[in-house]
Amino acid sequence: MAGPRAIQIPASVENLAEVRAFVRDCVGEFGGSKRVADDLVQAVDEATCNVMLHGYKSKPGDIDIEASLRDRKIEIRILDRATTFDPTAAEPRDPARRPAPTRIGGMGLGIELLRGLTDEVHHSVRPDGGNELTLVRSMDRPTQEE
Amino acid sequence: MPMTIDVEQHGGNPPVTCVALTGELDASNYEQVIDVVRNAYADGARRLVLDLENLTFMASSGLFALHSAVRIMGGETPPDPEEGWSALHQMSMDEDAPASNLRLAAAQEPIARVLERTGMLRVFALDATRADAIATLQGA
Repeated sequence: MAGPRAIQIPASVENLAEVRAFVRDCVGEFGGSKRVADDLVQAVDEATCNVMLHGYKSKPGDIDIEASLRDRKIEIRILDRATTFDPTAAEPRDPARRPAPTRIGGMGLGIELLRGLTDEVHHSVRPDGGNELTLVRSMDRPTQEE
Repeated sequence: MPMTIDVEQHGGNPPVTCVALTGELDASNYEQVIDVVRNAYADGARRLVLDLENLTFMASSGLFALHSAVRIMGGETPPDPEEGWSALHQMSMDEDAPASNLRLAAAQEPIARVLERTGMLRVFALDATRADAIATLQGA
């Protein structure tokens, strides 16, 4: 059984590629399918980008990303020291309305993608300041098509 | 992996500009796509194919870039990413009518899925190949 893994990156959009490579690598090591990797790579990219642009507001800071496997569920935690920012508070888009990508990393399509690509999204404020966002994706969930 | 952008003019009548994206399109490089399309439009391009065959990842910032490309090709000023909601909510594109002079081509499965999942296929027409997209734009 592969153990938990973690990386720390400076909060800059230049580092999103490294985050994606880390997630893809972890999912592979945990034995997840390409589809699970694709979904989690997309979700973690969106969530991490949100932290950079809305949590740290493009100012310097660190982001820790931890990946672990438990009961055939991959759990990814994104930890920061930024001001409180809860992406799960965004209202879902009305599917009848035409899509409108909002500002980059804004609470628009990125959040919608996050919800659709994972089984669970949890936000909490860390006791000593900062945010903790947890994304959970089952390795066994059947392919979801909308 | 950085993204590269190749622009190619496809002759014929009418001419079609092909913009091929290779690599990963994310928040660090989406503005390059907007700049390339803006320059192509300024240089007279009026029919454009965005070839996604070698694009392996697209974040929501990439969707924003494609959306801006549609507006540029429609002769509109694309929204300023910093202005956000208010600018984008003034979109004047026709309901349920994809852009007529810009087509996407050859999206890989994960990218096609993102486009579908976010409802963006109502804004963009997606063809299986670049040749199909060119043929459609030339009225073949």
